[in-house]
Amino acid sequence: MAVVQLSKICKRYGSAGPVVVDNVDVTVGDGEFMVLLGPSGCGKSTTLRMIAGLETISSGTLSIDGRTVNDVPAKDRDIAMVFQSYALYPHMSVAENLAFGLRRRRTPPAEIERRVGEVARILGLTPYLARKPQALSGGQRQRVALGRAMVREPMVFLFDEPLSNLDAALRVATRNELIKQHHRLAATMIYVTHDQVEAMTMGTRICVMNGGRVAQVGAPLDVYWNPADTFVARFLGSPPMNLFTVPVAGARVGTAAIDAPLLRWSGAALAPLDGREAVLGVRAEDLHLAPEAAGAAPGRIRGRIFAVEPLGAETLVAIETEGGAECTARLPRDTRARVGEVVTLHFRPEAAFLFDPQSQAAIPALPAAGPLRTGAVH
Amino acid sequence: MRATLAPRRGGLLASRAALGLVIAAYTAYTLGPFLWLATMSVRTTGEISADHYAWPRPFHWEQFRVAWVDSDFATYFWNSTVVVVTAVAAVTLIGAAAAHALARYHFPGNRLIYGILFSSIIFPPQITLISLYQILVDYGLYNSLIGLTLVYVSLQLPLTVYLLEGFFARIPQDLFDAAKMDGYGDLEIFRRIVLPIGMPAIATTLILNFIQLWNEFLFAVVLVTDPDKRTLPIGIRAFMGDHFQDIGMIAAGVMISVVPVIVAYVFFSEKLIRGMTAGAVK
Repeated sequence: MAVVQLSKICKRYGSAGPVVVDNVDVTVGDGEFMVLLGPSGCGKSTTLRMIAGLETISSGTLSIDGRTVNDVPAKDRDIAMVFQSYALYPHMSVAENLAFGLRRRRTPPAEIERRVGEVARILGLTPYLARKPQALSGGQRQRVALGRAMVREPMVFLFDEPLSNLDAALRVATRNELIKQHHRLAATMIYVTHDQVEAMTMGTRICVMNGGRVAQVGAPLDVYWNPADTFVARFLGSPPMNLFTVPVAGARVGTAAIDAPLLRWSGAALAPLDGREAVLGVRAEDLHLAPEAAGAAPGRIRGRIFAVEPLGAETLVAIETEGGAECTARLPRDTRARVGEVVTLHFRPEAAFLFDPQSQAAIPALPAAGPLRTGAVH
Repeated sequence: MRATLAPRRGGLLASRAALGLVIAAYTAYTLGPFLWLATMSVRTTGEISADHYAWPRPFHWEQFRVAWVDSDFATYFWNSTVVVVTAVAAVTLIGAAAAHALARYHFPGNRLIYGILFSSIIFPPQITLISLYQILVDYGLYNSLIGLTLVYVSLQLPLTVYLLEGFFARIPQDLFDAAKMDGYGDLEIFRRIVLPIGMPAIATTLILNFIQLWNEFLFAVVLVTDPDKRTLPIGIRAFMGDHFQDIGMIAAGVMISVVPVIVAYVFFSEKLIRGMTAGAVK
């Protein structure tokens, strides 16, 4: 397996064209499952294609196991890739699709047969080996695409939004299949997606990208509970984190509608913000209709309900504060809330986030506050 | 329920009957002249003059032998086969490669080349006849099958590239990327991915080019003069005099020349239809 290192990787189309990937510095460890996560157009697929050798690298260094591969053609990088469209060869049977890469590498026919048979057995494709791709369902095609990568036993696996074309149930099943295969193969995998659930559930680490740049790299829960900026804070989490621009006064933020003590930050961190505005962040699952019994005086947000979405397992309640700020709370399924009702939502002060209004970067909290945040996972 | 279904079923039957009638009429319209020609090919010119539409009685099968042996149709057939098969093979191979390059590689001047090729389709090929004649004379290729083959290749290449480029451009880029990841180079991708996937379109151009060149008369009559280098359309013309036309032998000659076209069509028809309707349905 392999370590993939991206050092100051840039991609620009044309000499005066826009920079679509800007100074990406990421190292993917041996056997790691790294997820490149971000919205459409953030440069994650371009980064993946540069790793694959399907796009040229404008500047920077890409190395695999210490060997610089910037100018090595895709066919010589020993990397396999699973495409969003599956990219199965329509004129070949499943068996031929699986064997296509091995034939090029002059693998002995007996070995090809053995590997194709083994991968087909692992992925449940044995009954379909003689079929053409158009005679397969979406899930089966996806498994063939995965099998085509697995059968080659490459140094690195790349996945470009491979689950996007599957329905919800199949997506969950295939996701679990991929996780299983990652554990089985212990291979280095780089996975591109815009789906935060895929990123959170599959990734050893997540690399969140925005506007061609790396916004944050870290373990999924670490990124979730310690977002580097408001972009990461809102991109991870559904519904997105609620953000409010509020004035800071000493160790409190507040308006008539929103009020919270700032317990997670030192006086030194808050001093530059005193008398100015900051961005307060609260996740939807940290908001409650009744104040929690224990702990410090809770933060509160008061507003009028303008939408109620009962989802069965939970109820999403959206309110608008007097100042016009909107926020969504994820409440228990038996919550009785009516549109038009004025309510006060409470949250633990430890559940609050604070961001600089100019740079949008997170204001560093006290170190002791870090671990306790993971305790807030439901 | 039955009351509501009955009128719908009746309407369906009526529309099917109407469609059947239209198809039958069109088939008679296209097949009629062919059958008439077939009957004339086994009748003598005298019999045809006496009654244009009579059933052959007796069948003069010897006309085919006369055409094939005595009138050198075997030579014409061979010449046509050599010229057309070579030209079609060259057009298909060069055209497919050029179309693939234009559809897949973004090199400077790509669209300019495409535009020039496309513009050459717009103009009638007859305007090039005199200059082609002069070029062939200059290079010692006038009155040769090689010269005629080269002219045929140049005539059919632009349309072939145009048709194939449109088809090839619709092959998803991911397939090329996947083949690259599987370790294949550009030439192998062309051979193992583009050609097999593009087969419906290639078959379409193949059969269109074959029919067009097999029946081509103007360039052949101008650029070839030796009797032993004649192609079939010129050979058939030999039965036409200033004052007398041997209709029976012309019909036999045409029937001989039609056979390969029918064989080619039957062989490729399924792919031809698939190529022509490519993109029409999802």
